[in-house]
Amino acid sequence: MTTLLWLEPTTLAEALALRQAYGDEARPIGGGVWVTLLLQQGLLRPRALLALHRLADLTGIGLEPDGTLRLGAGLPLNVVASHPLVRERAPVLARACGLVANVRIRAQGTIGGNLCEADYASDPPAALAALEARVRLASTQGARELPVREFLVGHYQTRVQPEEIVTDLLVPPPLPGARSVYLKFVTRSSEDRPCATVAAVAGLDAEGRCQHLALAVGAVASTPVVRPTVAALARGERLTPALIREIASRFVEGLDLVSDLRGSADYRRHLVRVLLQRALHQVAAAPAGGVRDGDR
Amino acid sequence: MATAEAPAMIDAWERVTARLPLTEDLRLPGMLHGAILRSPYPHARLRHIDPRPALAIPGVVAVVTRDDILSDPTLERTYGPQIADEPIVALERVRYVGDRVAAVAAEDEATARAAVQAILVEYEPLPAVFDAVAAARPEAPLVHPDLAAYPGVSLNFDLRPVPGTNICHHFRIRRGDLAAGLAAADLVLEETFFTPSAQHVTMEPHVTVAWWEGDRLVVYTASQTPFDVQRALARLFRLGLEQVRVVVHPLGGGYGAKTFPRLEPLAALLARKAGRPVRLALSREEEFVTLNRHPATITIRLGVRRDGTITAKQVLAYWNTGAYADSGPGVATKGGYHAVGPYRIPHVWVDSYCVYTHLPPNGAFRGYSATQAVWASERMMDLAAERLGLDPLEFRQRNLLRDGDAFATGEVVHDVHFADLLQAAAQAIDWPHDQRTVLPDGTIRAKGLAVTLKGMQTPSRCEARVGLTAEGRLRVYAGTVEMGQGSRTALARLAAAVLDQPLDQVEVVFPDTAVVPFDTRTTSSRSTYMLGTAVQRAATILRQRLLDLAAELLEADPRDLVCRSGRIFVAGVPERALRLGEVVARTGRFELTAQAAFANEGGLDPDTGQGVASSHWHQSAVGAVVRVDPETGRVEVEHVHAAVYAGRVVNPVLARLQTEGNVVFGLGTALFEEIVFGEGQVLNANLSDYLIPSFADIPPRVTVTLLERPGAEVHGLGETALPPTPAAIGNAVARALGVNLTRLPLTPERLRAALAEPERREEG
Repeated sequence: MTTLLWLEPTTLAEALALRQAYGDEARPIGGGVWVTLLLQQGLLRPRALLALHRLADLTGIGLEPDGTLRLGAGLPLNVVASHPLVRERAPVLARACGLVANVRIRAQGTIGGNLCEADYASDPPAALAALEARVRLASTQGARELPVREFLVGHYQTRVQPEEIVTDLLVPPPLPGARSVYLKFVTRSSEDRPCATVAAVAGLDAEGRCQHLALAVGAVASTPVVRPTVAALARGERLTPALIREIASRFVEGLDLVSDLRGSADYRRHLVRVLLQRALHQVAAAPAGGVRDGDR
Repeated sequence: MATAEAPAMIDAWERVTARLPLTEDLRLPGMLHGAILRSPYPHARLRHIDPRPALAIPGVVAVVTRDDILSDPTLERTYGPQIADEPIVALERVRYVGDRVAAVAAEDEATARAAVQAILVEYEPLPAVFDAVAAARPEAPLVHPDLAAYPGVSLNFDLRPVPGTNICHHFRIRRGDLAAGLAAADLVLEETFFTPSAQHVTMEPHVTVAWWEGDRLVVYTASQTPFDVQRALARLFRLGLEQVRVVVHPLGGGYGAKTFPRLEPLAALLARKAGRPVRLALSREEEFVTLNRHPATITIRLGVRRDGTITAKQVLAYWNTGAYADSGPGVATKGGYHAVGPYRIPHVWVDSYCVYTHLPPNGAFRGYSATQAVWASERMMDLAAERLGLDPLEFRQRNLLRDGDAFATGEVVHDVHFADLLQAAAQAIDWPHDQRTVLPDGTIRAKGLAVTLKGMQTPSRCEARVGLTAEGRLRVYAGTVEMGQGSRTALARLAAAVLDQPLDQVEVVFPDTAVVPFDTRTTSSRSTYMLGTAVQRAATILRQRLLDLAAELLEADPRDLVCRSGRIFVAGVPERALRLGEVVARTGRFELTAQAAFANEGGLDPDTGQGVASSHWHQSAVGAVVRVDPETGRVEVEHVHAAVYAGRVVNPVLARLQTEGNVVFGLGTALFEEIVFGEGQVLNANLSDYLIPSFADIPPRVTVTLLERPGAEVHGLGETALPPTPAAIGNAVARALGVNLTRLPLTPERLRAALAEPERREEG
């Protein structure tokens, strides 16, 4: 039997050097929720595990000078869900992280690990996509940033290179009049992964006209679905029932959706339309800065 | 009677601090670890097996293949609790995806698991059949072409296979004249209902440790049926019963999964070949291909008169038992009469088929066929009430069995309380008010009811021994397996009450076939009643013996003596006393014991279904309040009230918790639990893809009625509230949406599809 090597750096520089040395042969591991499952099922046989849990650099949380919210990739989901700064600046993300699986998973799993898992049936990716968040990656060569929407490329696929580590998530400052809604729909146990999720972030002016709308639908395709041209229908408009119906219908037009044990593609198409309408109605009624409790 | 202040469980502290000894934790010096090679085909001929590559791996000690069985004339070829149809490993063919092909014993589990993958196997795929109705047809590929040649091991009923088909048992009820009963009806309804397979999901998977001491076999195993396992091993290895010792520590859950031989024969054969102890433990994934719940397709025809009187009922049931019968014939028999329901019906005709398919074996599962049968029967009652324009409660009440009525099996029922239980369930959910309400947010709140009659293992017998040590400790020797239901506490309380001993002075010995007297098995919610009765009888005999001995020592008449708080004294003269332990010590013994037996009698004629199905009845009713979102199809269960007949409550806390646990079990079956197959392969064999209820799924209100009657027998509660729960929820959801629902679970997508369907209802 081959022995799995356990690498446990204590600084980012050390971790990046190990990543450079081992490349694909060392699997980075944050909370280990996902990697442990893969190892147990024999789907992953790396030579080494690169444990990132001792890197203080990955658990920071704070505001950049321009108001961008910076979240360390190693933050547990329950910390993201409950941190006052996240709740104030990105309530839709706090809400999404607070609905992942159960309290044990949220205490163990990290926000960076969740994103790197790139499982389509997960809560945080759609919230991050709606917020137009970016991912910061580091290597011994330096750092780079990618929008979350580009970082996620397919089922369990991301743009992380073999020598890179995800260090931070960057959430742009909220626009004036911003309000948001996150809806999660499960078809089985309350601890199930979602069948569909909707994250909606809107900026409304004093007259209730929509200055900005971002919609992301999760768990229905390999990556979160964003349709900027459909969301743009709301620009400068009031979110009337007719407009909401139109946006919801146009959003699902021609979408190629997944079928799994949680629901067929046909059911998901119907469900996304219903959830989008509910989310938009709630956004229209929400107080500025507020986030509405989502359906379970 | 033991007091309510006594601890709810005598081993609660050990349990929550993980100090309760489980078989899972057992490790022995020199112990090897086993792993099983499983078939990737649902049906294939085994052309060739070569174990040599596995044997070449360092750490591998023994490999077992069919050659070990075929070349050994001292070994029986097959075993099985009701039909001996299952080989230790596949002989000439494999019969399901996951069937055992070979096994390895190695120094560690990882080596064993890697080594089985090195075994070379050549298969020749054969046609397979997965649906029970299709498998019952004459043209279906046969799962057991040699069925007729298997040694028929009949436990408590006669088997009725249909030769040349996959039907391994056909149970019938023939009562009255069905045609006349249907002709007398104003309305005849017919509908087919389906319940899928499910997993028990015990926290502790199956695990067995076996070793040989010369020609004696010792097995520590997580089993609900130590004496069945002992008997099966003795037969397989051609040993005397006294040469096989089976020891059972408390289980991390059973729910029927751990009934009858499972890993024990293979572990014993591996241990014999390796010459060392072998531990065999299943992974969670393997649990899904070891034993599941029978999928059931049940068609019901019901004849009713306009006034709400049922004139006739016909049941046609197919129980998909998978590749090996296990307890399928028993499930088909009990499911056959469970589907009749607790109703007075003059003309009843039941055909209940146990059918082999190329799915993993299905067997005992909490509810033992009643969950599937009640889903069909109680949905049908609501459909009939709706057609007749009657209130579902009134319609049921008009037809319910009452004391002195004859059930479909011909037996006259006594001590039945279906009417009171249903009334209690209805009242708790404020029936008949607000049966359907559309709420301001567009969701619909609705209510539903269901009632259940469930049999207990009949016939069965048990013995119990109660001992008092010279140190004054009371010891209970019984074959009942503790699996979280609290049976050790129940038996301790019952014994302690007879001798008026404090509970902390009572010890309940773990089942060990070399130590405890015989008990049929820990199933069908029979232990508190059956073993409880035997324990009380033994304790009463012991008490009298102690009184007699004390009378001599105290020079008093035994009738003047009082046994209280661990002492015997002369009435009115408390200083003329002896401690119980002293009485024993003065006789020069370490322990004074007494033993007693208890049996229930009965059985059904499999051709007519007439006889005694159950020596007493498990009875329950459930009322459910649900809230349905018609746009998404999502169901929230707001309130479940379970009313069960307890006869006499032994342990109020555990009786309530058992009933709540049943409701939670039923909730999973109602809303989302389902094993999904693709060409016979389980597609969701893990707990990310197969969900069970979590604490967050439990309805905000779960309430319980424990109905008692002065002087009544104790009635088991281990399963009683489960069967009506899915049916009551289903009836509520059907009412909310105004649709017919025939298939479990009630997933949001299925409910949306039902809303889209035009109404479908047939008249016979």
